[in-house]
Amino acid sequence: MAVIEARGLGKSYGTRRAVDDLSFTVQPGSVTGFLGPNGSGKSTTMRLMLGLDRGEGRTTFDGRTFAELEQPMRHVGALLEAKPFHPTRQARHHLQMLAVANRIERRRVDEVLELVGLAAQAKGRPRKFSLGMGQRLGIAAALLGDPHTLILDEPSNGLDPQGITWLRQLLRHLAGEGRSVFVSSHLLQEMAQLADEVVVVGRGRLLTSGPVRDFVEHGGTAEVLLRTPDLGVLAPAIVAAGGALTPDADGLQRVTGLDAARVGDLAHEHGARVHELSVRRATLEEAFLNATGLDEEYRGAITADRPAGETGGAR
Amino acid sequence: MTDALRYEITRLRTIRSTYWILGVAFGFQLLLTVLIAWNLPETGPLSGGDQTFAILVTVGATLGVAPLFIAYVIGLFGVFSMGHEYRHGMIRATLTALPSRLHVMLAKVVTTAVLSLVAALVCIGIALLSAVLFGVGLPSVGGLRDITLGTVLYTTLFSLSGLAFATLTRNQTAAVALLLLVPSLIEGIVKAVVLAIKASSSDPTSRGGIVEILKFLPYDAGGQMYTRVSLDDAFQVFGYKPFGAVGGGITMAVFVVVLLVLATVAFQRRDA
Repeated sequence: MAVIEARGLGKSYGTRRAVDDLSFTVQPGSVTGFLGPNGSGKSTTMRLMLGLDRGEGRTTFDGRTFAELEQPMRHVGALLEAKPFHPTRQARHHLQMLAVANRIERRRVDEVLELVGLAAQAKGRPRKFSLGMGQRLGIAAALLGDPHTLILDEPSNGLDPQGITWLRQLLRHLAGEGRSVFVSSHLLQEMAQLADEVVVVGRGRLLTSGPVRDFVEHGGTAEVLLRTPDLGVLAPAIVAAGGALTPDADGLQRVTGLDAARVGDLAHEHGARVHELSVRRATLEEAFLNATGLDEEYRGAITADRPAGETGGAR
Repeated sequence: MTDALRYEITRLRTIRSTYWILGVAFGFQLLLTVLIAWNLPETGPLSGGDQTFAILVTVGATLGVAPLFIAYVIGLFGVFSMGHEYRHGMIRATLTALPSRLHVMLAKVVTTAVLSLVAALVCIGIALLSAVLFGVGLPSVGGLRDITLGTVLYTTLFSLSGLAFATLTRNQTAAVALLLLVPSLIEGIVKAVVLAIKASSSDPTSRGGIVEILKFLPYDAGGQMYTRVSLDDAFQVFGYKPFGAVGGGITMAVFVVVLLVLATVAFQRRDA
């Protein structure tokens, strides 16, 4: 099973640096999520890894670059864009074409069509496929050579909830078999359930990489949710103990800076009644937003904090 | 390289355009050669022989009054070979299956050339069939060889130039436009301008000078391979003397090879 090692990847479009000295490692037996805001260079990075874009750096799969691999689909399966096929070529023929180039047995075409749920549409023409069906055909192509490494750019695009669940189970299963799965997605909730590791980029640069749990714990903010009829008594005590309160909906208070046990103890010490005390853990989304907040390439003109008139729009 | 060839052959086999291009080329060739053969006189210089058969094969192009129809249809193989890759976003899928861009390009050159050559040969066979069916006098062996060589080589080079245009532009529509316009319009405009300049010079009938450029118009030069009589002959009063079949063929071949080399270099260097 292959280790993916990307070293010093770089790419410029004119004066704009799309990917800048990006290095990371993807270990076998894990799903590694590739996260970054729109325009942060994720797709360019994946293309650089496969030698499709010309740029700097080197990516190896167990020590060999993609171009050095014999019959590369047997080693690395890739899905890089939605609907990468001729609209009138039958789904089965599309896969057969890729298979013959990598000396993959013809029966494998039917196997992967079955695997992605497109067996009934084997003779269908992609022109009539939905985005989700197209995505499934792209995933079938990536799996065609039974590769040890998968590189998937937004594979859940266009999939319905059942499709997303299926994809999650499939990728977890493949990683469980010891394969390296490198997958980008903007669905952070989905990624939180799927990925073991993350590589986070912003403006083409590496922001962080490592286990998802570490990333969330260090990058997000856990909160204690508190509901009390005796806020007048408890709030000063919390502040005095180093906590901070932020009012939320329905009289709920969000407490940061103290853990739930300390808040409970303070309530007990001050004789305050507590109707609700719970912990809201940090999420991948929060950690991601904290990590990439300053690196967002395209930002909307209207945000919760700043109305349109106070922003410069897209940067 | 073998894998790339297998890929290209499967690509051609599994796409509709292969069949409709062949259908249009063969269908129109049959229709037009039947129409011409049916209307040829039973006696006289156009009742048979090399000249008549050349007219039949090229559907009049041998007289220089029309372009070589089959080349324009079969030439689409070349354009679509690379044009489909970019038009339908296939290029990245292709290059993840076959990372060697040189092999991909060479496979496209080989399959385009072979398919165009075979399709042109079938079109000549269709002309021969029409001649036999309508009792048109058959050509001599030498005449058949010459018109076959000229037509097949021109059509094949024409297709390959379409492949080069599609690779250079990465745009199927632009490549089709170039393939149609360069031989039929651009070269015509160049010819008109050059001849106008020569005609207005102090010695318009002298040999050489600016009219030498016309020898190197690649499609016009290549057309000498199948042209027997041409309106261009009238331009010889301006001192214009074309290369002839061999020289014209070499001129067109050099042009197409240079285009293909440029296309291959661009394909190697650019992002997919």
